Amino acid sequence: MTDTQQPAAPQNALTVRNLNFFYGQHHALHDVNIDFPARKVTAMIGPSGCGKSTLLRIFNRMYDLYPGQRAEGEVMFDGRNLLENGIDLNIMRARIGMVFQKPTPFPMSIYDNIAFGVRLHERLTRAQMDERVQDVLTRVALWGEVRDRLHAPANGLSGGQQQRLCIARSIATRPEVLLLDEPTSALDPISTARIEELLDELKEEFTIVIVTHNMQQAARCADQVAFFYMGRLVEVDTADRIFTNPRQQQTQDYITGRFG
Amino acid sequence: MTLAPTRQTETSPSSFEKEEKKSGWTDSFFHVLVGGSALVVLLVLGGLVLLMGYGGREAFHIFGLNFAFHNVWNPVTNEYGAWAPLFGTIISTLIGVMIAIPLAFGTAFWLTAIASPRVSSVIGMAVQLLAAVPSIIFGMWGFFTIVPFVARHIQPFLTHHFRHTPILAPLIHGAPFGTGLLTAGLVLAVMIAPFMTAVMRDVFSAVPPMLRESAYGLGATRWDVMRKIVVPWSRSGMIGAAVLGMGRALGETMAVTFVIGNVTDVGWSVFAPRSTVASLIALQFPESPAGSVRLSSLLALGFILMLLSFVSLALARTLRGDTK
Repeated sequence: MTDTQQPAAPQNALTVRNLNFFYGQHHALHDVNIDFPARKVTAMIGPSGCGKSTLLRIFNRMYDLYPGQRAEGEVMFDGRNLLENGIDLNIMRARIGMVFQKPTPFPMSIYDNIAFGVRLHERLTRAQMDERVQDVLTRVALWGEVRDRLHAPANGLSGGQQQRLCIARSIATRPEVLLLDEPTSALDPISTARIEELLDELKEEFTIVIVTHNMQQAARCADQVAFFYMGRLVEVDTADRIFTNPRQQQTQDYITGRFG
Repeated sequence: MTLAPTRQTETSPSSFEKEEKKSGWTDSFFHVLVGGSALVVLLVLGGLVLLMGYGGREAFHIFGLNFAFHNVWNPVTNEYGAWAPLFGTIISTLIGVMIAIPLAFGTAFWLTAIASPRVSSVIGMAVQLLAAVPSIIFGMWGFFTIVPFVARHIQPFLTHHFRHTPILAPLIHGAPFGTGLLTAGLVLAVMIAPFMTAVMRDVFSAVPPMLRESAYGLGATRWDVMRKIVVPWSRSGMIGAAVLGMGRALGETMAVTFVIGNVTDVGWSVFAPRSTVASLIALQFPESPAGSVRLSSLLALGFILMLLSFVSLALARTLRGDTK
């Protein structure tokens, strides 16, 4: 993949080297090497169980919550290996935000859903917090819809609104990287389109890594696409190249729908 | 495997009909079966209420509605009122629940959020075993361990220090028998806490993993996640757990009979011997002749106890905001 990178390529936000991952005895990722360019959207595609979500969950050490899961290798972020023991997970997770397959509003008001993460890391005055809440809600195009009911429970929102709230919540802690694990799989086409538009705007500020089963989505949103199969990275390249002229036969078969 | 389709195509319409008839029959049989089981629930519930109410009609007739609030239980003069055992039931249950809730919450919290999975599963198993211990065992344990402990240590200690403190003094007044409301409450707490812990743990672990992960993903600590996500999310389940425990405490008979002292009286001291509805019925039922006012009064007590349980259940549903 080095030959496809232009000399003036932007700096990489995440650099993965020789990464292996294990669920107990099960070897889920084999020697993965991949770079995630800063302020670009990288889509990870591949059939279920190929390891793409596993890789995503390594980036914020979510696997740490579960005993028996472990990662070996190197994930460099801001000059440090994320897999090291000394990393402060709480600070790291604020710098690498994550959005899940289904909207996960917390059992509290819309306002508090956003303030929750911010309060963990910053001490803001009421006015500053109000401003932050308005800012992130505006950026996910939700402000107009919820400005009158900021203190109503977040569960009252529609699925698409909830997911935009979750994105707002993630960017409220001002992360550098945003991880999205099939963020539109539970949403209708209109909500999906809005999220995709949103990604386009957000990439000006954040490095975005998105796992998706939807090939069109990857083609529409991503600058770089990585294809995984059976725990291995098969190919990574620009979206154009992957979808028009992939180098590997496996990639070709997958994107043309021959398996998966 | 290969035979079935060919046969079906040969006699397609008739076998299809037969099939439908057969499934229709099994379907209605199944409906009767499950519908019947559901009906039995109603019949038993209605039957119990009727039996208690009907059996206690004489007592209600003689003493009127005052029966519930009259502090007298005198087999010699044949005068009966439910106030003393009701008071004992309510206060011992409240003491038990007030001790058990923090205990159960703390244990469940620790098991879900802090303990390592292996330790958690061992302790979790122990909690379930403890919840399965028959109440008679707790009764004997209470009698041989808690009663002497309260008599020798707790009560003398409290009496020594708070004898002259206003408000507290009447609460701890009395001879150090060791039996009484506090002892009953302690034994009840130990009995219902494991049960409540088991339920609360299930409620805590029922929080969707993705919701927890979302909070961790923002950089929250285990403590933050527990306090701000898991506990608010499990609110109604926790209330449910507390009420289930309370229901058990309200009706608990054996363990309480062993340690409460069985004196039908009302008063503020938590160390004075009292009685509860269940303990009084258990003790006096065998010696109450059929057709006597006393037997009728005991049945009336049972009726009131059932009402009390229903009220606590209704209260819990209101607290949960459960309108279904």
